[in-house]
Amino acid sequence: MSPLTFSIIRQSTQLSAARRGTVVMTSSVSSSSSPLADNDATKKDKRVIETPGCFMYSVKGSVPHLTPDTLRLQGFGGVNVSIEQLLQDHQPTGLDKWPFTLSKFLNLQDLILLCDIREASSFTKVPFNSDRFVSMISNKGVRQLTLEDYLKVVRAYHPDIVGAFTDSISDTKEPGQKRVRKSVERSLKWLDQVLLERQGFDGLAQDREAEEKKKLKSRNKENQTPIVSETVASVSVSPVKRTTLPWTDVGLFAHVQGAQFEQERVRSAQETAKRTGVDGYIVDTNALPGSRDDILKMLKASMDHLPKDKPRLVYGMQAPEDVLRSIALGADLFDTTYPFLLTEDGKASLFSFGSVTAPSNTASIDSATASLQASSISSSANNRWINLWDDEHADKFVPIMEGCECYACKGGRHTRAYINHLLKAHEMLATVLLMSHNMHQYSKFFANIRQSIASGTFDQLSQQFCDQFGTEPERTGEIHEAQRIVEASLSKRNRLDSSGDASPVASDPAELEALKEARKAEKAQKAQEKKQRQMVNKKEKRSQKLKERELLEEQKMNDSKA
Amino acid sequence: MKSALTWDVLAKCSTTKARAAVLTLPHGPVNAPVFMPVGTQGTLKGITPEQIEGLGCQIMLNNTYHLGLRPGQELLDQCGGAHVFQGWNRNLLTDSGGFQMVSLLKLAEITEDGVQFESPHDGSLMLLTPEHSMSLQNSIGADIMMQLDDVVSSLTTGPRVEEAMWRSIRWLDRCIKAHKKPETQNLFAIIQGGLDPNLRKVCIDEMVKRDTPGYAIGGLSGGEEKDKFWRVVSQCTDLMPRNKPIYCMGVGYAEDLVVCVALGVDMFDCVFPTRTARFGNALTSKGTLSLRQAKFKDDFRPIEEGCDCIACKSYTRAYLYTVVTKETVGCHLISIHNTAYQLRLMRQIRESVIEDRFPQFIHKFFKDLFVEKSAYPEWAVNALKSVNVDLMGGEEASK
Repeated sequence: MSPLTFSIIRQSTQLSAARRGTVVMTSSVSSSSSPLADNDATKKDKRVIETPGCFMYSVKGSVPHLTPDTLRLQGFGGVNVSIEQLLQDHQPTGLDKWPFTLSKFLNLQDLILLCDIREASSFTKVPFNSDRFVSMISNKGVRQLTLEDYLKVVRAYHPDIVGAFTDSISDTKEPGQKRVRKSVERSLKWLDQVLLERQGFDGLAQDREAEEKKKLKSRNKENQTPIVSETVASVSVSPVKRTTLPWTDVGLFAHVQGAQFEQERVRSAQETAKRTGVDGYIVDTNALPGSRDDILKMLKASMDHLPKDKPRLVYGMQAPEDVLRSIALGADLFDTTYPFLLTEDGKASLFSFGSVTAPSNTASIDSATASLQASSISSSANNRWINLWDDEHADKFVPIMEGCECYACKGGRHTRAYINHLLKAHEMLATVLLMSHNMHQYSKFFANIRQSIASGTFDQLSQQFCDQFGTEPERTGEIHEAQRIVEASLSKRNRLDSSGDASPVASDPAELEALKEARKAEKAQKAQEKKQRQMVNKKEKRSQKLKERELLEEQKMNDSKA
Repeated sequence: MKSALTWDVLAKCSTTKARAAVLTLPHGPVNAPVFMPVGTQGTLKGITPEQIEGLGCQIMLNNTYHLGLRPGQELLDQCGGAHVFQGWNRNLLTDSGGFQMVSLLKLAEITEDGVQFESPHDGSLMLLTPEHSMSLQNSIGADIMMQLDDVVSSLTTGPRVEEAMWRSIRWLDRCIKAHKKPETQNLFAIIQGGLDPNLRKVCIDEMVKRDTPGYAIGGLSGGEEKDKFWRVVSQCTDLMPRNKPIYCMGVGYAEDLVVCVALGVDMFDCVFPTRTARFGNALTSKGTLSLRQAKFKDDFRPIEEGCDCIACKSYTRAYLYTVVTKETVGCHLISIHNTAYQLRLMRQIRESVIEDRFPQFIHKFFKDLFVEKSAYPEWAVNALKSVNVDLMGGEEASK
């Protein structure tokens, strides 16, 4: 029995495939197959994500800038974390001595925890994957995670939902068709193996057999009989379908692959859809090349061939209009990378969806829009967000958004002027307040979307939203002029200080000592980074060799076939 | 002079000079002895005002020097002061801006007029006079403001120390004259005089004549020997009026707090707890945990058993190890814990004074923190001996 149920409350009857539903996670501790779940008694019995909705983007289970109390104010039902982020010195955190589940370790028992393989927020290039492993980045360089490692992690972490082991191509954004076909096939094979293991069967048996056969073959050639007999003995002892501990109380989301090839996307979706025991699907658009329209077309190719009764999680569709268009294609779940990136830029969102919001809110947006139009030199010349680095906010003693109920705006406690001051003073409360606001508004955006689907106005309001707020300006990654000045002055101060001059930041011996400590730490970090780089280089060289060998083998196989 | 506070002593320790009191300020009551966290630029290092309130904090510090530069006086006037600006409805204390001068000396020139220094932001020349400091602090609107004093490093000797002492007295007069809101803001005088008992005595005599609402012991915590430090503190509390709060500036290490309370000090501030948090150091009754160390990787205990802060309630040391000095959340969590630790320590001290078992508390505190008597700092042992607590002789000997 899957612990996860997805029910569609309302399917849009109009042009779009938008649907309103719920993902419910039920944890029944008594019937749990995992001994770990027993000491996780604090876990709530029933946890819900309303869809369309989001998993909160987290780094190691911490939503950036938000402490656990502030996090609970945001109105999201789930959190996304990746094995990749939890790698520490190449080992997944706490794997050996783990006394409880990941949910408990991360203090997220009241939310639905999705543990995926790689970082969900963006495309990070790593060396290739192979038949045996998936590459990812740890604090000590590239690490290769095998299916066996993955299964160990799943058993130890016991998250609510886990992303199936998959071959997401991440060494290039435009792989060749042959590589893509390989990715689709590998992912299906791995999915089958994961499904077997989840039921308590030995999903790795076929891999081991193949390995042994290969070894046997090569050793026969070399005529090393004693070792062969030993290995054969150990193989014959292990049964083909050894029963291991099942983990059916962990939900399983399968990744759908296919990169930029429509045909492969369709094939991947169709084949994945055939597998029973999958609770949901993940479509990662982060690595897709081309324009937003191109990417949406590729997303559609996947969506159209996935079962309608299971939730679909989409990565990489973050900006509001991308979310709307994805929902129209039938997407149910997203992540909160967008509000996080706004926050990193010092931006605060002003957009809202539909007239279903309270009239006071709409009025405030109009006034905010008007004030923005009045100041033509603003660097944020759009009405979807303001950039609080802009000087124009220095004397605006008003909340980011009138009537907003987020922690920052509520009761007018914190103003645009204050946040502008905090940014310029390089104070961390700036991002705490911005993140609170942006997350809250993103959550509200989704709530309004759900309401509109339920009331049958989604298509119309989507159009209205796009007319009103245009499209997201390209995120250039350029830092704001004001930020650049602040950072330059900070580094100047540090330079002054290190050259022996008194510095305004170091006004007492303790402070000086702290600075020294910081510099020491920085130095150590730099040395560490250098070491890392060297290791990465080494690893890359090694992987390159492996790859070459693989290619050679493939060629040989092709030759022999021919 | 006028005062906008009341000072009610609830209990006095029968052994030491410690006392428990309620200091009532324009933005509410403050239980003393009190530790005041430092929110230099109008914010306490990533902790939200609501969280600070939740920790039971009743008074926080802001730095005049920093707020004067940014957001600046004009904006502070426009929005109605620092309380409104940072969304903090409890009490604030501001320094004079003078303390920063110790470090700015290379850029600054001290004359009878005030302190002239280069703006670190645009390099322009700025003059901080007693009048300007008062004007800035009136704009900030802190419940307690500090006089501008002529700060010399506590390591300085010779005639410069005496000059600074006399000048601080003259500047106090100018501050009193320039203070525009004595009905809603309390001006504290700062006792100077370096490590010289005679100068300290003269300074106290003169400043007590001015009858300010409270007094601070200044010019310490600048790297002087601890054995000299406590003697100055103890001398000052002996000579200062007992019907007013006494504030020792820049003191924040746990053992310093315990000793100084025993010597009769009521108020403290220090950036240490929040600064050290940013380097991943968590304070506990058994010493500091450096959570960056790999030994915490598999340590599934909270930072401190029994602590009710959000870091200890939510996370293990093993988790904090993965985020400290890497994620801002790690920094917020340790800052919250450290502030909670400091405030709890002060509450425990206060309770023990009220129940007249402060000497026993001191014994336990030192035993928890240093374990072995041989590890007790000598200066602390000496200081406590001067107020009838014999750490080496055991609890019974103190009574």
